[in-house]
Amino acid sequence: MSPDQEVIRMLLRVIKSTRPLDWVLFVVLLSLSLSGMFFAKTIYPSGNWVLIEVDGKLLYRFSLFEERTVSVKGPMGYTTVEIRDGRVRVKDSPCPEKICVRQGWIQKGVIICLPNRVVVRVGGEDNRVDAITG
Amino acid sequence: MRSQDKRRIATLAAYAIVLHLLERMIPTPIPWLRLGLANIITLLALIIYGLRAALFISLIRVLLGSLFIGTFLGPGFILSLGGALTSTFAMAGGNLLGERVFSPMGLSLIGAYSHVLTQLFLAYLIFIRQFEAILWVAPFLLTLGLLTGLLNGLICIKVLQEIKG
Repeated sequence: MSPDQEVIRMLLRVIKSTRPLDWVLFVVLLSLSLSGMFFAKTIYPSGNWVLIEVDGKLLYRFSLFEERTVSVKGPMGYTTVEIRDGRVRVKDSPCPEKICVRQGWIQKGVIICLPNRVVVRVGGEDNRVDAITG
Repeated sequence: MRSQDKRRIATLAAYAIVLHLLERMIPTPIPWLRLGLANIITLLALIIYGLRAALFISLIRVLLGSLFIGTFLGPGFILSLGGALTSTFAMAGGNLLGERVFSPMGLSLIGAYSHVLTQLFLAYLIFIRQFEAILWVAPFLLTLGLLTGLLNGLICIKVLQEIKG
């Protein structure tokens, strides 16, 4: 038997031990999560503002279309946020895993740095302004 | 606790810690992605030895793992501890239904989903009081958790088949 066939046989043997309810659970939870993803993408406000919050407090609100680099202080040190060409990213962060930095540039949505408690999000200024600017 | 049980728990906990440390060295294309391989060990312990052994192993893994990595008592540690505890209890709950209802795959899915949900909840409660932000990342993390949960569940089945021969 070729190694490929052996792998397939092994996989089939593993799959045979699963139960129908395993797959029902999988499909239900997956469709829940995927529709949540779709939901978040469509309803999330795409705005022209970058809101930078530390520890739940709004520190800065910048236009998404003005080039700017700013450092904000969190419990671990300074997180550097860069805004350029209608996009925003966390350029540098003192956190150990740098998940926020690795997320790269975003035009919509949020970047969260949990260790340094920094939230960078793209949104409207507030509802009133959104209504005026359409 | 008998010394035989202690030895088994220690061995499995050692496996869990090694998996936990190893997966941190694997570069992942998606920054949020965690494979959660250590949960294979917790699940195996739950199925073979029961809830008490599984709890001991996941607690030892979280405590020692965070000491090795240097995140002890940091934000990652609190999320890790919360996720490990609730997912172990949730999988034990699923296991109580009997093996005809859920195979290890179903249990692993339950574990992964409850793990992510707990972490999101704790992150909101303790670190990021930003509901919109949590809502934005939740579907991504839950989907990733399901896929890794599926993988780990199938690995767990394979390991059990090997053990039983």
